Amino acid sequence: MTPASSYLIYGSFAAGAIAVYLLLPRPGRSTRTAGGLLGLAALAAVLGLTADRFLAPAGVDVVFYVSATVALVAAVKMITHERPVYSALYFVLVVLAVTPLLLLQEAEFLAVALVIIYAGAIMVTYVFVIMLSQQSDQPMYDRRSSEPFVAVFAGFVTMAIVAGQLGALPVSAAPSAASSPAASAVRDETANTTLVGRVMMSDYVVAFELAGVLLLVAMIGAIAVSRKRVPSDVPVEEGPPPGAIGRQVPPF
Amino acid sequence: MNETAAYVLLGSLLFAIGLVGFLARRNLIVIFLSTELMFQGVVVNLAAMSRFHQHVNGQIFALHLLVIAAVEAGIALGLVVLLYRRKGTLDSQRWASMWG
Repeated sequence: MTPASSYLIYGSFAAGAIAVYLLLPRPGRSTRTAGGLLGLAALAAVLGLTADRFLAPAGVDVVFYVSATVALVAAVKMITHERPVYSALYFVLVVLAVTPLLLLQEAEFLAVALVIIYAGAIMVTYVFVIMLSQQSDQPMYDRRSSEPFVAVFAGFVTMAIVAGQLGALPVSAAPSAASSPAASAVRDETANTTLVGRVMMSDYVVAFELAGVLLLVAMIGAIAVSRKRVPSDVPVEEGPPPGAIGRQVPPF
Repeated sequence: MNETAAYVLLGSLLFAIGLVGFLARRNLIVIFLSTELMFQGVVVNLAAMSRFHQHVNGQIFALHLLVIAAVEAGIALGLVVLLYRRKGTLDSQRWASMWG
């Protein structure tokens, strides 16, 4: 990796880190526009890094750029939005933007499973819990960040370490079918779902069964956790006893 | 940069953004949402590596990771509801002092 390209990589990550720092919730929201513009510039620079070979099959597809843009913008909006419901919805958008990326990598079963389980089940659970535990509009802890500079610096260091190693990857394309004829013959003939099912039920069946046991244990644990009566540290005024309201309301 | 490197870069970007959200936000639920975002980054990475090695191992790992993410979301949200009942707020800084 030439020094110029490494400066470009680290510079774009630094610009993105500054943009996220400006976008994180803080008292006095005047930095949102500047952060947004700087973030879009950093995003364009980062995606431009991958554009050595723009068109498939040697490079990445155009769908990659669209999905990557949507995923990254939605991810940043998710962590910087002040309302948790919007954060959950932007996360659904991230999952839906990751799905075409997985389809491009020929992971069809994983893509559909991700949409059904993540965007369908897990996010609905999150939205339920957010609705159940929402306080007044715009509570103070949603309008401030705790240690934003340290957090952004940690994210930047993570990206710098990873991207520093990406320059060492071989520039040529993925290993072609000639390198593993047996595996590619199997891959070309069977669909991805069939292949995943076959390998999971033969090679990884123990892990599959353990995942089922884990789900059962987690379900029991979640029920046990949610039934626990905790005393509230905050004084809560007692409502009417069960049935008292019903006696006062005239029937039909 | 070849195709796999672009996907690894994207996966690690999603992971780093989730890391920043995990460290910087104070709302307990947004903290757990950022954990899920980190999972998404890892899933993208695994799918790219699975294609690179022309083997389906990475996708099976990602499917098991999906199971673990679902389990973690369920139990974590149960605990968040308990914590909310205890303090009446979702602020993580309220639990910063180690009193009982």
